[in-house]
Amino acid sequence: MAEIPLSLAEKTFILHGIDADFRNDGRSRTHYRCMELETKLMDQVHGSARLRIGNTDVLVGVKVEIDTPYPDSPGDGKLEFFVDCSANATPSFEGRGGENLANEISNVLALAYQSPDAMDLTQLSILPHKKCWKLFVDILILECGGNLFDAVAIAVKAALYSTEIPKVKCATLDGGEADIALSDDTYESVKLDTTNFPILVSLYKIGDSCVVDPTSEEEMCSSASIVISVMPNGRISSIVKMGYGSVHPTTLSKTLDMGTKVGIELNNEIISALKREDELGLNREIIGFLR
Amino acid sequence: MPNDSKRINGPDATVPYSIYTNLNSESSELLIKNQLQFRVDKRKHNEFRKMFIRIGVVSQAKGSAYVEMGQTRVICSVFDPREIPNKAQYSTQGELFCEFKFAPFASCKRKGHQQDAEEKEYSLIMQRALEPAVCRHEFPNFQVDIYALVLDNDGSALSTAIMAASLALANASVPMFGIVTAVTVVIYDDLFIIDPTYKEEALCLKTIKKLKPVNHGIIMQAMLSQHDQISEFFLTGSMDINFVNSSIDILSKTSNEIYPVLQEALRKSILKMIKKKNQQEK
Amino acid sequence: MDGDLICIPGQRLCISDKVNVPGQGTYEKLGYIYAKFAGVVKVLKHDDTCSISVHGMIDQSIVPAPGDIVTAMVTIVNQRFCKCTIKCIGDIVLSRPYRGILRKEEVKAVGKDATEMYKSFRPGDIILARVLPMTEAHTYQLSTAENELGVVIAHSEEGIAMVPVSWTEMQCPKTLIKELRKVAKIVPEEVALLDSA
Repeated sequence: MAEIPLSLAEKTFILHGIDADFRNDGRSRTHYRCMELETKLMDQVHGSARLRIGNTDVLVGVKVEIDTPYPDSPGDGKLEFFVDCSANATPSFEGRGGENLANEISNVLALAYQSPDAMDLTQLSILPHKKCWKLFVDILILECGGNLFDAVAIAVKAALYSTEIPKVKCATLDGGEADIALSDDTYESVKLDTTNFPILVSLYKIGDSCVVDPTSEEEMCSSASIVISVMPNGRISSIVKMGYGSVHPTTLSKTLDMGTKVGIELNNEIISALKREDELGLNREIIGFLR
Repeated sequence: MPNDSKRINGPDATVPYSIYTNLNSESSELLIKNQLQFRVDKRKHNEFRKMFIRIGVVSQAKGSAYVEMGQTRVICSVFDPREIPNKAQYSTQGELFCEFKFAPFASCKRKGHQQDAEEKEYSLIMQRALEPAVCRHEFPNFQVDIYALVLDNDGSALSTAIMAASLALANASVPMFGIVTAVTVVIYDDLFIIDPTYKEEALCLKTIKKLKPVNHGIIMQAMLSQHDQISEFFLTGSMDINFVNSSIDILSKTSNEIYPVLQEALRKSILKMIKKKNQQEK
Repeated sequence: MDGDLICIPGQRLCISDKVNVPGQGTYEKLGYIYAKFAGVVKVLKHDDTCSISVHGMIDQSIVPAPGDIVTAMVTIVNQRFCKCTIKCIGDIVLSRPYRGILRKEEVKAVGKDATEMYKSFRPGDIILARVLPMTEAHTYQLSTAENELGVVIAHSEEGIAMVPVSWTEMQCPKTLIKELRKVAKIVPEEVALLDSA
């Protein structure tokens, strides 16, 4: 990740602020920064979303293609995440620099969506054993200002929420070969069942307490963080520890409780925001990205 | 293993025949729970398998360890510090480089020679689990290479590899803050099953679509038992937060039970080396 | 020895106070001394303190540190510097070679500007050098600006080990051709060792 040099005095200042539950930008420990979220802003993809939180800017595009299902799960579709840490964000991402971080993010996303409780892949099936939909979720990190995991996960959820899969009119087996016909009406499409899609909440341990949504400066003060994926119903679909530090078992328990609480609230907020955007209808003005 | 991209990995269209057997289709909730309720090896749910540990098995490596956890077998070796490749800045903390690999024949499905996404993920988890335990400030600008190879995977391979790596590091005289113990637990409905076998792991991740979500999943926790610190926590599946919290207690307790086993193994290896040294002196 | 105290990493050894002080191979945390290595505990008694130290069973991997005298082999020579691989630190052979660089300015203590690299070193020479403080991440800066440092073993074009004849020249015993080198003035017992080799 982009490294910001911080002096000891600056670190102590941040630490004391967090101890007093009053961070440098005036937030409390469980407060997120303001977010800008917009969906359906690109034409060539089936679903897209752009999220800006603080200085972090993430763009997600979902493309849908037809593939053959895995032999060990013939009734399921496929879902894959690709993260690209663009060198625009920080020069350290240049070449293969951002590769590790990109792998890390896509792995955590794949884990969060792995359970059938979170994402039911059977809704992507067309003809079991023969054909299924494959969702390519491409994530582009345009600017990097801390808290990438949460930002990416929210943008992915919003992009999947806006994803429209073409309607299959008929799918039959013709002499062992799959025969698929799509609807002639391009506006006729199916939406994904996003009720249980998780989001990620990362909690950074700074001093004796944990904060959500850290700025890059705060990230530099933290030795360990916990990334929890929380579903809207409060269930946990994955937990990963990041960073080089370690935590005490009771701290971990407390952190997880706090993360779940924050996760449920954040989920509600995002769903209601997406619904409000839907109500604006098709003719809403598209703001676009990096404005 | 060197990354040889030109190597022909054989046809990748093959599938294990086991997916065509009926065993795979029995996925009703009751059956799964039944299979998990009574373990094949007659263990209790909170009982870990018998361990076999041998330290210093690879003569070429600076330090090495071989750990068996039931049928799961892992060999791990640690090498001398070397300069961090492709790094321009001076880093005050040394780095750990972990490579986790399944032998091609270790699992039910054959693995390729190159690391796949799962193995890369496990390598990173291993690195994060071990980093808090190593005094990295003692070798600035250098990295220590740790290679773990799973010879046979019968569940809990990752936690076994982490323990093997921690023993190998101690054997290589890498300065450490403590020994890392790691335990895997699988959860299904209200069952907590410590140290699962391959089959138990697979059952708990089985995809069943029901109206009411059932707790299921795998948790791996690595711990510095001596200091009561969790160095890595890794969960997949879907469960209630209360289950996670109670499993932290169970996992910590089991870690504390496993720690004496590792301690004893290390003690024996030290005694052996002292004996050898004394003989050489004579 | 049965009397040895054995410890493993992270094991709590004793309380840390005015009497017991943490020594080599240990660390202090929350008022206690812990071991860093798997090995033997040694207690060194001073006047009124005890130094607790832990010695690992294998020597800890050592890396060159500033001020160390190292033995290195010259690999590349050009007008400004020569590159070498460090083989030994003092009398300890390294299990892995480390890269070192010797700049023109660091070859001699006097007449730095007049130094010519090609008249001081050739690839394949074995040199003694001192490690300078590190500036780059990857290469150790070396210096031979002392009488005792410089080329120790060099081979002539015939492939025969040459004998130093002055502080700038070495001679091949077979062809009697003299070659220019920055010769190290070696302390007598090491000369004896080299002759017998």
